[in-house]
Amino acid sequence: MCFTNLPVEFDDEGRAYLREGVADPYGVKTSGGSRLVGHGAGPGGGVGTLPAVAGAQVEVQNLTEFTIDPVTRVAGALGFHTTCDLPSRRVVDAHSYATLFRGYELILKGRDPRDAIDICSRACGVCGGVHSTTASMALEMALPVVPPPMGILARNLGETAEFLYDHPLHLFMLAGPDFSELMVKATNPELWAAAQKTSAPHADIHGYATIAEIMTALNPLTGRLYLEGLEYTRTAREMCVIMYGKYPHPSTVVPGGLSTNLSFTSFNEYYKRLVQSFDYAKKCVGVWDDVYDFFLTQNPDYAKVGERPANMIDLGIFDDVDAYDATYANCNEWGEQRWSTPGVIINGELRTTKLQQIHIGTEEFVEHSFYEEWGDPQFQTDPAGNPISPFHMWNKQTIVKPTGRNWREKYSWATTPRWDRTVMEAGAYARLWVTAMAQKHPTNPFYEATGTSIKMLLPKGRLPEMELEWKIPDTLNALERNRARAYCVPWMTLIAMNCWLQIMERWKAGETKTASPFKMPKRGTQLGVGFWGAGRGYLSHNLVIENGKIANYQILTPSTWNASPRDPFDKPGAYEEAVMNSPILEQTTPEKFQGLDIQRAIRSFDPCMPCTTHIQAGDRLVVRDVNSCACTLEEELAQ
Amino acid sequence: MTVLIGGVGYTFLRDHSVGLEVIQRLAALSWPEDVRIEDVSYGPVAAVHHFRETLLPDDRVILIGAAKRGRTPGEVYHYRWEGILPEDAEVQERVVEAVTGVISLDNLLIVATRFGALPRDVLVVEVEPEDESWGAGFTPAVEEAIDTVIATVRQEVLGSEVLG
Repeated sequence: MCFTNLPVEFDDEGRAYLREGVADPYGVKTSGGSRLVGHGAGPGGGVGTLPAVAGAQVEVQNLTEFTIDPVTRVAGALGFHTTCDLPSRRVVDAHSYATLFRGYELILKGRDPRDAIDICSRACGVCGGVHSTTASMALEMALPVVPPPMGILARNLGETAEFLYDHPLHLFMLAGPDFSELMVKATNPELWAAAQKTSAPHADIHGYATIAEIMTALNPLTGRLYLEGLEYTRTAREMCVIMYGKYPHPSTVVPGGLSTNLSFTSFNEYYKRLVQSFDYAKKCVGVWDDVYDFFLTQNPDYAKVGERPANMIDLGIFDDVDAYDATYANCNEWGEQRWSTPGVIINGELRTTKLQQIHIGTEEFVEHSFYEEWGDPQFQTDPAGNPISPFHMWNKQTIVKPTGRNWREKYSWATTPRWDRTVMEAGAYARLWVTAMAQKHPTNPFYEATGTSIKMLLPKGRLPEMELEWKIPDTLNALERNRARAYCVPWMTLIAMNCWLQIMERWKAGETKTASPFKMPKRGTQLGVGFWGAGRGYLSHNLVIENGKIANYQILTPSTWNASPRDPFDKPGAYEEAVMNSPILEQTTPEKFQGLDIQRAIRSFDPCMPCTTHIQAGDRLVVRDVNSCACTLEEELAQ
Repeated sequence: MTVLIGGVGYTFLRDHSVGLEVIQRLAALSWPEDVRIEDVSYGPVAAVHHFRETLLPDDRVILIGAAKRGRTPGEVYHYRWEGILPEDAEVQERVVEAVTGVISLDNLLIVATRFGALPRDVLVVEVEPEDESWGAGFTPAVEEAIDTVIATVRQEVLGSEVLG
């Protein structure tokens, strides 16, 4: 069964229909308000909110409110409010709030659809190419136009390179310092003492004899691994530039492929850097396996930090040239042929790998977000005739309403996406996890999904050829999110290698075309959706064109899934749930409490807030809390 | 000796785009062969890699951009960058900004200095912005300042030739 909460069933031919006899199939019965603990008045002040649960007043006397605003070492502006019971070392309540509004959906309305590619790209300065690519794919479906094989392959090479930029950046610059000597010494001296005596199992690969040496190498600004990560961004960025002509914000992404002038030299230059990446990928895995295994061995409770049910969603990425035809009608088939398989996992079980099922099961709520609900839905079904919710992205309208600021009413600029009304999370690890379970990726010499793992064969570089295996972990927690992200580094090199080999074959056969011509519709209504991914997972752009102009454009990003506030059913978002499940393991006094375990839990999702929140009243521009080019749109949340 | 004149800022961010406008106008003028005029707004870490590869310690860098510091809008300030860095924790924050896409004069100066990518001789020419909202064009105050910025840079690079 695909859906258990939405009344959507399927006939013998796989067509979805609404179960008969359900009067209001997409009705929302709200819970009547969020559970509240603590004195929190909500972000930015507002109406004070008293605890709403019996006995909470008593609890309040023993609770400490701990607010991290902004959460540092994340892209953009994220605030996090927690109520901690420090004596019993647990977090009893948590609220995640996005503090910026961007308004891309409003900016795009009424524009030429082609503008979406360039404008959307500015949604993020980390994900410098994914938004333009996803926008181009939404257009490919709406127009329609199909890229030539070389266009698809070059796009895959550009995107794998982007993730090779993104993943190490997170591992070593953003999350890495949480595991550095400086941080561990300050919060858990007992771990530092043990690290000095513990040999690193993969010392032969990364060159660090002990766990303590690795931790020292993770120190920000001075650590060798930190500095190496910073340098490696150059290699990966150059790979992006070779394929896209420019990075971030490529100008060569068009509906129907890439307009970059690519030559044999381009592909050789790319390959030269890919070979360097093989060795770097081996080191990434060795380092992070050693660090995370050390933490889990020293204190198994680290498996509870950031833990939540294995509920994940991903759209797959990297198209197979023989399968991708850009149509919605065939997206189930071409989606399952992707190098990374689309899918939904609920409680560790793979529920579907079909893009249409993933798409029609997705809704976006604004109950606790600074937006107003919209009116009647424009569409009852998707282009294939499957029912879609009034809360589906093709029906959603962005109507700003920054009122009622408190934890009970509205407290975030992020919306609340749900699949089958279930709290999901997105991430590079979801990509890996779904592909491992589905076993549907194209046959290739470099990696193989086994159902419970992905086996990888890394070619020889300076380091010897190496077999790696990422195994689906028993639980989804902060360390396992980060570990899987480390394994995504070699995996990306191997997908790139496969695509590069295919390019060589086609180039030798005389294929050089990387883009197809297209015509813009001037009349009628056209729908498109870009099913793709960012470094941190799921990314869809949902487009409605009417009479040649954008009538509606809705971007749903991975960090919107993860950073969501509570839903209409009072279920907390993924960050909130992960933090509430986290034990407090740092060994500091309440006066010196740093909330490191909370921060490790949040950062394990690789939050990227510029993508998440889509101008509001405000009197000051926060240049430092914005990202490249998108800064133009952002002002601080009105105080 | 190379002289790198670099514009720093965002496109279409009103007065914050002044550095990019100035370098376009500067590029239309005649310069000695050793002068390079570039847009260096592609991220401080990438700029570090570029500076390290293309600059020597005795080269010269002139960076132009807008910086909001509460002064009179449109006023032009120029000063030698002494390379004094803040505490490590703040430098680390600037690195995080840099890798997550933030572009600013301060950010570039701090990150590039921390990683040893700048020559000794660095001049900063900055304009106090007024309008920091999204869109093309400048406020009258900043529009008027552009000629002053250009004259300042020409004076710094060409010296007596300009005066003469």
